[in-house]
Amino acid sequence: MEGFLQALAAGLLIGAVYGLMCVGLGLIFGVMRVINFAHGDFMMLGMYTAFYLFTAAGVQALFGNTVGPFVAILLAGPVLALFGYFVHLALISHVSGTRTASLEGEGHYAQLILTLGIALILQNGGLIVFGSVLASIRTPLSSSAWELGPLFEMSIFLNKARSIDAVVSLAIMVLLSLLITRTRIGKSLRAAADNPTAATYMGIDVDRAHRTAFALGCGITAIAGGLLATNYPFHPFVGLEYVIVMYAGVVLGGMGSIIGAFWGGMTIGLVQQMSTLILPTQLQNAAIFAVFLLIIFFRPQGFFGRMVERT
Amino acid sequence: MLRIEGLSAGYSAKPVLNDVSIDVGAGQFVAIVGPNGAGKTTLFKTISGIVKPSGGAITFDGVDLLAVPPPQRAHLGIAHVPEGRQVFPSLSVMENLEMGAMTESGRRDWQATIERIFDWLPVLKERRNQFAGTMSGGQQQMLAIGRGLASSPKLLMLDEPSMGLAPSTADFIFERLIEIRRQSGLTMLLVEQRVAEALESADRGYVLEAGHVVLEGNNATLRADDRVRKAYLGM
Repeated sequence: MEGFLQALAAGLLIGAVYGLMCVGLGLIFGVMRVINFAHGDFMMLGMYTAFYLFTAAGVQALFGNTVGPFVAILLAGPVLALFGYFVHLALISHVSGTRTASLEGEGHYAQLILTLGIALILQNGGLIVFGSVLASIRTPLSSSAWELGPLFEMSIFLNKARSIDAVVSLAIMVLLSLLITRTRIGKSLRAAADNPTAATYMGIDVDRAHRTAFALGCGITAIAGGLLATNYPFHPFVGLEYVIVMYAGVVLGGMGSIIGAFWGGMTIGLVQQMSTLILPTQLQNAAIFAVFLLIIFFRPQGFFGRMVERT
Repeated sequence: MLRIEGLSAGYSAKPVLNDVSIDVGAGQFVAIVGPNGAGKTTLFKTISGIVKPSGGAITFDGVDLLAVPPPQRAHLGIAHVPEGRQVFPSLSVMENLEMGAMTESGRRDWQATIERIFDWLPVLKERRNQFAGTMSGGQQQMLAIGRGLASSPKLLMLDEPSMGLAPSTADFIFERLIEIRRQSGLTMLLVEQRVAEALESADRGYVLEAGHVVLEGNNATLRADDRVRKAYLGM
C-alpha cells in the first residue's frame, strides 16, 4: 500500500511536468496543424539554455543554488520562445499557414522534411557546441525530500525538486489556460485553429497567430525541459527520448486539444511510475505504450478529441 | 463604395472570373445571382484576398484593395459572411461575435453593436454561451451574420445565406436581413441562388454565368428580362 501511494505521488509529480511538455507541442499542433518533429530538440535547447543561464550567466551567483536553477529555467522559456519565433519566421512559415494552399499535400510533406531537418541540425549542432558529456541542473533540492505523514503508520516521501517542478508546471498551465480562454490573443489563436480562412475574414493575421503559437509552444516545452533537467541528466540527443512521449501525450489527450495534451502527459507520467510496481524499470516505456494502445483502442479520438470534423 | 473593374481570377491555370465589373454604391443592396460554378464565391474570396486575381482592379472607399494584405481588409470595413457559414465551432457564440469585433471599429462600437445584434437575432442572446459547433444550420447562419455585423462594417458581403437551410429558415433569414438593412442602412452585397428572393429585395442585380457578367441592372429591369424570367424565375 505504501509502495502504491509512493508510486502514485511520484507519477503525479512527474506527470505534471510531462503534461506541460506535451502542452507545448499540443499548442503548436492544435493551432497550426504542423507536426513538429524538432520539438524534442527545442526542449534540449531549453535544457542547455537553462543550464548555461544558471552556471555561466550569473543566475547562480545572483540567486544561489536553491532558487537559482528555477529562475534560470523560467528565463529559458522566453529565450526559446524568441528562438521559436525566428525559426517560424525564417523557415516554418514558408511551408505552413496561408502559404500551404499552393503546396503539395497542404504543405505536410514539406513540413515533415523541414522539421526533421531542423531536428538533425539542432542535435548535431548541439553535439558540436555542448559536447557529448551528460549535463544536469542539480540543486540541493534534487536530493532531499519532504515526508508526508506518518499517517496510518505510512509515510510518503516527495522529492523537493520534483515537487517544485510540478507546482511550477501547474502554475504555468493555469496561466496558459487563462491566456487561451480569456484574452483576445488566446481567442484569436483558437479561431485561427478552428478555421484559418474565416479567421482571415475577421481581420486576424493567421500567420502571425501561428508564429505566436509556435513561440509559446517552444517556450513552454523549454521550461518543462528545464524542470526535467533538475532530476534527469541530459545530452544533445535527449530530444529523441522525449519527443515520443510528447506525441503519445498529445494523441492521448486528443489531437488539437490543448488541455487534453496536459492530461495525456499526466497519464504517461502516472503509467510510467506505477508500472515500476509490477514491472522491471527497463520496461517503463513499454508499459507506457501498452497503455497508450489500450486507450487508443477504446477511445481513438483521445480524451478530449472531437470526432466531428473541423468545418 | 466598392468598385470592381475587369477582374479576372482563378485557381492555378483555370480561370473562374473573366473581366468582371461590379459597382456597389454606398447604402445600396446589390445582389449577384447565377448558377452553381458561375464564380460567385470566387468573386467574394478575391475581394477578401483569399484568391489572388490575375487581372483587374478592386477599389474600396477609394483604397486600392489589391494592395492591402488579406487580414487587413476586414479592418477597412469589409465583413465577409462566408459560404457554408464557417463559424468557429469550438468557440462559444459570444466568442464568435467577439472575433467579429476584432476590427478597430468593431471594438469601438462593441457595446452598442452587441445590443443591436441581440435585438435583431435574439436566438444568439439565448444561446450566447453555447458552442457554435453544436448549433443547427440556421442558428449558425444567424451567428455568421451576427459575427459579420459585430465588426461594424461599411460593407456586409453575404455568400449564400440560404445554403443548406430549410425553406422556412431561409425565408426567416432573408426577412431578418431586410429588417437589418431597413434599420441600419448598411451597404450589402449578396450572392444568392434563390434568385427570386434576392432580386426582389435588392436595389440592383448582376447575373453571373461562367465567370462573366451577362446581365446587370436595377431590380425591375432584371425581373422583367426574358432570360432571367425563363432561366431563374421559372416563368
